[in-house]
Amino acid sequence: MKNALKPVVVALACTAAAAGAPFAAQAQDKVIRVGVLMPISGPGSYFGVMGKEGIELALERVAKTDLNGHRLQVQFEDSACSPLQATNTVKRILEQFRPHIVIGEECSDASLAIAPILEQAKVVQLNAGSVTMKLTESGYKYVFRIFPNAEQQSLPLAKVAYEKLGARTAVILHEKTNAGNDNADGFEKPFVKLGGKVLAKIDFGRDVNDFTAIATRIASLGKVDVLPTFALEGQQVRLSQALAQARVVKGGGGNAVQMGSIWLPWGYDQKAGPASIGYVRIVQFDPTEKRNIVQDFIKAFKAKYGADKTPTHINAHAYDTILLVAEAVRRGAKDSESIREQFSKLKNFEVTTGRITFDRKGQNSDLSVVHFVETQKDFSWKGMSWR
Amino acid sequence: MPDLLALVVQQSINGIYLGCLYVMVALGLTLIYGVLNQINFAHADFVTVGAFTAFFTATRFATKVLGLPDTGGYLLSLVAALGAGALLGLAVNAAVFAPLRRRGTDELRPLIATIGVSVLIENGQLALFGPIPYQFDSPLARETLRVGRIFVSAQSLLVMAVSVAAIAALYAFMRFTFIGKALRAVAQDRETAGLMGINPNLVIALTIVIASALAGMAGALLGPVVVLTPFTGATLIVKAFAIVIIGGFGNMEGTIMAGLLVGVIEAFTVQYLGSGLIDLVVFAMLLTMLVVRPTGLIAERKEENV
Amino acid sequence: MTSRRVAIGVAILAIAAAPWLLGTPYWRGILVLGAMNVLLALSLNLVIGYTGQLNLGQSAFFGIGAYVSTILIKTYGWNFWLAGLAAVLAAGLLGLALAAFAVRLRGHYLAIASLGFAVITYQVLLNWEDVTEGVRGIYGILPPVPSTAGLFYVVAGIALAVYLLLDNLIRSPIGDTLRAIREDEVSAASLGINRAVWKAFAFGLGAAIAGLAGVFYPGFVGTLVPDAFGIIESFTMMAMVIVGGMGTMIGPVIGAIVLTFLPELLRGFGELRLMIYGLALMLVVLFMPGGMVQAWNALRRRMS
Repeated sequence: MKNALKPVVVALACTAAAAGAPFAAQAQDKVIRVGVLMPISGPGSYFGVMGKEGIELALERVAKTDLNGHRLQVQFEDSACSPLQATNTVKRILEQFRPHIVIGEECSDASLAIAPILEQAKVVQLNAGSVTMKLTESGYKYVFRIFPNAEQQSLPLAKVAYEKLGARTAVILHEKTNAGNDNADGFEKPFVKLGGKVLAKIDFGRDVNDFTAIATRIASLGKVDVLPTFALEGQQVRLSQALAQARVVKGGGGNAVQMGSIWLPWGYDQKAGPASIGYVRIVQFDPTEKRNIVQDFIKAFKAKYGADKTPTHINAHAYDTILLVAEAVRRGAKDSESIREQFSKLKNFEVTTGRITFDRKGQNSDLSVVHFVETQKDFSWKGMSWR
Repeated sequence: MPDLLALVVQQSINGIYLGCLYVMVALGLTLIYGVLNQINFAHADFVTVGAFTAFFTATRFATKVLGLPDTGGYLLSLVAALGAGALLGLAVNAAVFAPLRRRGTDELRPLIATIGVSVLIENGQLALFGPIPYQFDSPLARETLRVGRIFVSAQSLLVMAVSVAAIAALYAFMRFTFIGKALRAVAQDRETAGLMGINPNLVIALTIVIASALAGMAGALLGPVVVLTPFTGATLIVKAFAIVIIGGFGNMEGTIMAGLLVGVIEAFTVQYLGSGLIDLVVFAMLLTMLVVRPTGLIAERKEENV
Repeated sequence: MTSRRVAIGVAILAIAAAPWLLGTPYWRGILVLGAMNVLLALSLNLVIGYTGQLNLGQSAFFGIGAYVSTILIKTYGWNFWLAGLAAVLAAGLLGLALAAFAVRLRGHYLAIASLGFAVITYQVLLNWEDVTEGVRGIYGILPPVPSTAGLFYVVAGIALAVYLLLDNLIRSPIGDTLRAIREDEVSAASLGINRAVWKAFAFGLGAAIAGLAGVFYPGFVGTLVPDAFGIIESFTMMAMVIVGGMGTMIGPVIGAIVLTFLPELLRGFGELRLMIYGLALMLVVLFMPGGMVQAWNALRRRMS
């Protein structure tokens, strides 16, 4: 009997010690609690998995730096891209974890759903993935977004299309989501205002696999100069290939120039093949950028996740959120209010996706890093000097 | 070729290709229903498993381990996908269909059980493969055949060719081989077939294996033309059901006709109405069919619908 | 009779006490969700469990309840309760439409038809953007009662009332009629039962109750998007009915409560959560087809 009890006692003692350890550690460091709401289940996990990778890498690296005697403690919750789940998990995390700041979400609907709750709880919401204008146009004081919103993404596309590419007709293709709609509208309005004509605005659900019918339809619309497309990489590959087959776009022997925003990660061009040649888009996170912070990030990413994996902008944006929190803490923030203060005061803070200066609405208005690239015949990017 | 004619021909070809894609998924479904009188909600997930099996066989195993050329690798992956589908069918039959069959002919519970299987497979694949779409390139992926202004991609042609071959093979199998006839006997009247010396359980298991192998192979064919994620099955399953019903449950010829019909209607809906309305049109068609002719396009079986 | 009164008393006590036992905003929110799910499960059970009609499209009525009430309130300025009433009526009418199919179809045909019904409803909500805002969503929706605990009392109270209504219905000759249709339609017809009328009744009432749950949904979440009403919702409702115990009154209630709280309790499992869910569904259907009610009865028998 006694022999059987001994391991049990040891186990209990170890558990007690382990349980006590965090308290002991907390007595020494001061903790900044960061809640993270990401879609980890369901199809939205496309964003969540990459977001988590970026955040976890950033946490490792930031832990090695001096944070004013603080340390970051992170809790992830699965908000599944849905307003219901996001609302539930944000309430849960506010209660059980009491974060000083919440990073989230990726999908616009979910981000909008949690904004009023975080606003009321006076907890900063740092968004690194949603496009909807409403997030920063609704007057929230605690919302900060480093991801470019729909207008910031699409306006340059419209201007370059009209002024630099000489386009007068466009067909807009977009996924049927909040983000897709907003980006499409963000292109249409300025393009039409400049004098262009939108021949068609074609939307498709995220469950569409085949685009040959859509490509054929576009081919029947007459002379199309530009094709702005807003879809995720999986669908975009199929879409580009179909457009090339239908001889609509430059990559397939046609005339139209495909245009896009920051949605597509590095590697899309290789996957789509010849269909992607001539694709003009804006990029924010550019793995070929020479800035040290970018190259360091890529090296660390490959070291942690595999040498054949190049980080995407989703990884990068998530990574940057932790850099921001860490910087705020270094400058003296120790709770939600002071984090909010520090964010408001930030000027030109360098991150992998560029520089951060938040405007009065909480939107990062520094787009200096954003530049146009055109896909070359060897699928590499050629930087264009348009603005 | 005048513009309108070229357009109509092109969209028709697009539609037929789409239809063949759906038929490849729906055929196994209708086979299982015909013999077992049960809906396998996880069927499209079998297709996804087939696609992933083919992907990994072609890209990792065949080329790197065996050193086969691309085409050889792809063919091997087709076989592997077939096998994976068959194994999966065997497993699901043993775990779900057979035990439930022993307990009676309830219609709802096996359906729910297969929904559970579907969730399990989808999330299992999510845990294994992650949510980021896989780029599955078959050797034909980038080739396009052109005749005048009409185009069709080589992989699409392959899909169409293989689906025709599969349908023909299945048809011959059902009509001319002993096992095929045994299958049809069990479908018509399980008890009498048993009395005539046919082991229904064995025949049913065989049917499920064949249907699931078909699904696996469909995955290998479709992998290069769909967006390949663990959730690909979910994008196909409901339309597959619609086709099975429109064609007449358990009826192979009907399923084929329905599949092609749905594909062509989808292509023309995209052309004239907008791709956002595809599902609406297809399901409105389904409901109309159910009102007007519930037994399907080709009524072979007399169902107690009254 | 008295044991029933005791049970009702216990239920009222439980409802009254729940928001205090689970006193935080998060858990109170889950309670509200649970109450809504109870309504949904009861509504589906009426159609599937008692009338034996294979209905996979219940999410459509849930969605109609949510959208009709929200649009009436936001666009036309209606009062919440009037809008809710109108939404319930709208859902009920749609249920009658589905009943028209049920009259002509059975079994798997009806299952797929109802699925198609749900898909079409979802597509209408998604595409008729002028009215529903589609994917953009409707935001800033206020609950009828400002506090979560208050909202729970309202929804749970309604759920209890609906439960009692249905319970009385099932015990009455109407219940016998529905069960007759479930067991053997042809024989029921030969007994002079007008199946069309009673199927319409079951579908209509079931749809109305689902719509009723839908009325409270947007205010609870604050945001309304069509994605909340896809066919996955139908399957979730189905799972609640089956796991709890189909064809009993208390079964759906138990199933709804368990399947509302279980995912929340499983949150610690992260990615395994949904796999466990699917596995649980399979196992229940395979080994415990009568759901938790069956398991409970078997346990009681073993102990006595």
